[in-house]
Parts: sequence; structure tokens; C-alpha cells
Amino acid sequence: MLLRASGEATGQAFDLHAVTEGAATTSSGVAHEETLLALAEAMVSDDEEALATARARVLDELGPEALVDAAGVASNFERMVRIADATGIPLDSFLDELTVDLRAELKLARFESTASTP
Amino acid sequence: MTDISYATAPVAVREDLLAAHRRAWRRLAQAGNWWTGAERVAIAAEVRNAWQCSLCKARKAALSPYTIAGTHECISTLSQSAVDVIHRAVTDPGRLTQAWFGRTMASGEITDAQYVEIIDVVVAVVSIDSFCRGIGVPLHPLPTPEPGEPSHYRPATAQLEAAWVPMIPVEGAIGAEADLWSTGRVGNVIRALSVVPDAVRQLMDLSTAHYVPRDRLMDFTWGRSLSRAQMELIAGRVSALRGCFY
Repeated sequence: MLLRASGEATGQAFDLHAVTEGAATTSSGVAHEETLLALAEAMVSDDEEALATARARVLDELGPEALVDAAGVASNFERMVRIADATGIPLDSFLDELTVDLRAELKLARFESTASTP
Repeated sequence: MTDISYATAPVAVREDLLAAHRRAWRRLAQAGNWWTGAERVAIAAEVRNAWQCSLCKARKAALSPYTIAGTHECISTLSQSAVDVIHRAVTDPGRLTQAWFGRTMASGEITDAQYVEIIDVVVAVVSIDSFCRGIGVPLHPLPTPEPGEPSHYRPATAQLEAAWVPMIPVEGAIGAEADLWSTGRVGNVIRALSVVPDAVRQLMDLSTAHYVPRDRLMDFTWGRSLSRAQMELIAGRVSALRGCFY
């Protein structure tokens, strides 16, 4: 969970539940989180209307560069999750050790891909 | 071949992103290690077709995708196993299992290295298409396949470890693969496609433009117009929505 690490690097503590539950449930403390999460969620969904709304909101609040960067990151992880899930790679040992508490707190074991990630 | 362009996009797209997408599209059209250019473009077309497949929609809605039998609606002459890999990896990646992978290999229709190269094409097309949707531009036309035969190159150091597919060991990036990673610590998600070395090179190329340059990965003060925390929030949410434990 590099969000936690990025918070530690800047002296901020983010609530990571927003990652698993969405902004409607909790607040992470990351600036413009609702806007950015709405775009991420719309990009994963097939709801074109929601995507158009989310895109317009990013443009309005954060500007065109942020839309490009946000879409770039979201689409990057559409790639990374498929690599991980399709190859059955184990969690890296250093990540395993660093995130034991976090994985329990966020209940990540509920994800079906857990069974494929030794 | 007509190059990818974002000239008509409603927002200015960074030159490094454009260049990385153009390199990926050119590579897509060329013969790889195990598939011809025509086959690679056919895989790409099947990626886009998977979203409309009735069987995939039924499986996605099911409690378990493995309880729904049927035939994919495909638009290619690729083998059934290849089509199944493409469609499942595109539409329901979080529920791929080792048992399913084992059955796919047992079919004898594709090898482990061919499987990895399919995933290599799938993830490149999915991510570039997703970017286009994100900024609100039409998907790029697929490239015209280039002639040529697959190299059949397989790194000598690739071996089975704990993953389903063979990978180059952490200390095994040597010789022709010496550029893949330079330190003793490299994430498994980087090594995952390493039985097809160019897949790792492309992964790093696209990730540098889309996300964070490799040499800045552990620099959490680095950002673009978004802070690193904002980038990680998006990354984490997409991974969670796709049900990815890794």
C-alpha cells in the first residue's frame, strides 16, 4: 500500500479504508479524494454517463493536466492487476512483511484473488 | 502504419505518454516471441470484443464463473483456449485460478510462454484503451500487422517458482536480459512476464509514462500535476475494485 508510504513521506496519515470502501463510506484525507475516486470508479465501470460526469468534475476542480495524469494512473493499474491475477505471482516478501497489519485491517482476504496469491 | 495521435483530444496529452503508446502500438503489430504480428493484432481485437461477449457477461454475474459453461463469442481464428484466456483476463481477472490455468495448459492448445505473451498484449491494449476512455477520446484503430515470424526466444534462466508461469529469478537478469532490472530487489509483478523479456520492457515503458518512472518509485514526494498520494489513492481504488489482492 504505497498510499500509506506516501503519507508517511509527507507527514500525513491517510485513512486507507477509502481505497477499499470508496469515498462515500469514509474519508482518506487525500486532497480532492471524492473527485479522483469518482473518476477511478467510473473508469472501472461501464457507465459512460458516470464517466462523463467524473471527467467533467476533474477538469473543473483540478484542470486538464490532472485529468490526463489521473486517467494515466487508473489505466496503469488496469494493466497491473491483470498481470498479477493472470500469473499467480506471490506477494513480494518485503511487501508481505510491511503490510501484515494493513491487509488484516482492510480485510483484503475477502478478494477472491487472495487464493491465487500465495 | 498510421501512428497513434491525440491531436483531437479535448485535453493536451503529455508527449511521453503519446510516445509510449506509439511504441506499444508498433510492437503490437510486429511478430513477438511466440505469436505473429497478425496473431497479436487478432488478440488485441479479441480484447475489445470480450467486453460484448454474452458468456463473459453471464460468468461475470455468476457467483462463480466456473459454473457457467458455454462458448465465447469470438471474432478471431485463435484457439478456444487462447480466446478463453483473453476474455477472462479482460472481463474478470480477479477470479482467475490456478486450476483454470492448469486446465488451459493441459488443453495443449497454448504453451506457458504463449500464455504470457497473450497477457502481455491484453494488458497493453486494456490500459491504452482505458486511458482513452478516461480522457474521453475514441479508441485508437488497431495497427496493421507487419510480416515476420516469432523469434521463439525463451530466456535460459526462466524457471518455475511460486507463480503459475515461469519467471526469470531476481538474480537471473543477466546477458541479454541484463537491462530488465538492475538491483537485487524487484517486484514479482515486474518479473511476472519475464519469460517474454520484451513484455517487461514494455511494461516499464508504459508504467513510466502512466504512473511513476522506475527510478522514482520509492520517492513518495515525487508527483506530476497530482501528488503521489493522489496517484496512490487512484491506484489503490482501481486495484480494489478489480478485486486484486496483490
